Amino acid sequence: MPGFSELIIVVNPTQEVTREGMLSIVMPWLYAPWPYVREKGIIETELDGDTLRALLMELSARYKAANVDFQPINPTTNDLDFDYDVLVNGKNYITLAHGLDTKLKDGDEVKLKMLWRWDG
Amino acid sequence: MLDQSEVIRYNRQLIIPDFGEEGQRKLKESHVVIVGMGGLGCASATYLTVAGVGHITIVDFDTVELPDLNRQILYWEEDIGERKVIAAQRELSRLNHLVQITPIFTKVTEDNALGIINGAQVVVDGLDNSATRLVVNSACIKQRIPYIYGGVSRLRGMITTIIPGQTPCLACFRPEGAGGLGVLGVTPAIIASLQALEAIKLLIGHSPALAGKLLLFNGDDIKFRVYDIKKNKNCPVCSPTALRQ
Repeated sequence: MPGFSELIIVVNPTQEVTREGMLSIVMPWLYAPWPYVREKGIIETELDGDTLRALLMELSARYKAANVDFQPINPTTNDLDFDYDVLVNGKNYITLAHGLDTKLKDGDEVKLKMLWRWDG
Repeated sequence: MLDQSEVIRYNRQLIIPDFGEEGQRKLKESHVVIVGMGGLGCASATYLTVAGVGHITIVDFDTVELPDLNRQILYWEEDIGERKVIAAQRELSRLNHLVQITPIFTKVTEDNALGIINGAQVVVDGLDNSATRLVVNSACIKQRIPYIYGGVSRLRGMITTIIPGQTPCLACFRPEGAGGLGVLGVTPAIIASLQALEAIKLLIGHSPALAGKLLLFNGDDIKFRVYDIKKNKNCPVCSPTALRQ
């Protein structure tokens, strides 16, 4: 996820999305769609579809509803935006046969990172 | 005190409410260090010079090369091969001879960072890699000097104003991302202009708009996204534990 700079999401059989491994919250807007997460540490959501793309689109929609402009899928290219990188079970989505259309299964670990800018 | 030529030169900013002669005097008494004189540094140095910051130290270890000229606006074709800080000093002094420009031709390292930024009210980022930025970030936290991070690639840019003890520092985020991705010249110009604006606000005692916020500029859709950010309690640089060590 943007910020910390990663959010580890585990898609489990009950369609819960679980946050793990964060040492402290540095991006408070991250929880805007799910205020209760601050206490529970678990995001519960249902996905429309079962692919990586669906997950990212769903997250984007949830943030938009909470007035947070977070758009990991670039609407022009229909691919992952240049500001982000995403890994499934430690593998970059580019290396997966179906890319963003990779089907997620129970226990998959999706890691979305915001990329910082280092050129000058 | 401003003399008559300064009152005339800075007239357009002196008439800005909440800036005025007092703001100009504060700028005149200020010292800014710009680390890195590439696309970002050239642009921020230009605006800080014409604004009338009294003393600007510019730091870079490189010489001017042809591929620099798409974005590093202080250098001309005839400057190729010359030390950047010398060429920049010449141009900045031509822009505003009232400003003291101190060139330092060196690479910023853990050994010299504290000395380089010593005495500055603000440090402005003009670097081109993450490692040196983290060195400067750490030195600024130790010296309690505000550090205005800016970074670009292609048509994207980021900026945050780091106030030691108050806002997150760069190390709070364990930031990732590659460099050397290419840069369109206007991208650092946009980010560096915002850096200069933040620096000026800090110097004249106004609240910087991007303290505790991260601005992402996207030149593809021309959007500025601003996110709130908080300190990492376990930051290896600015957490109380780290500072005690």
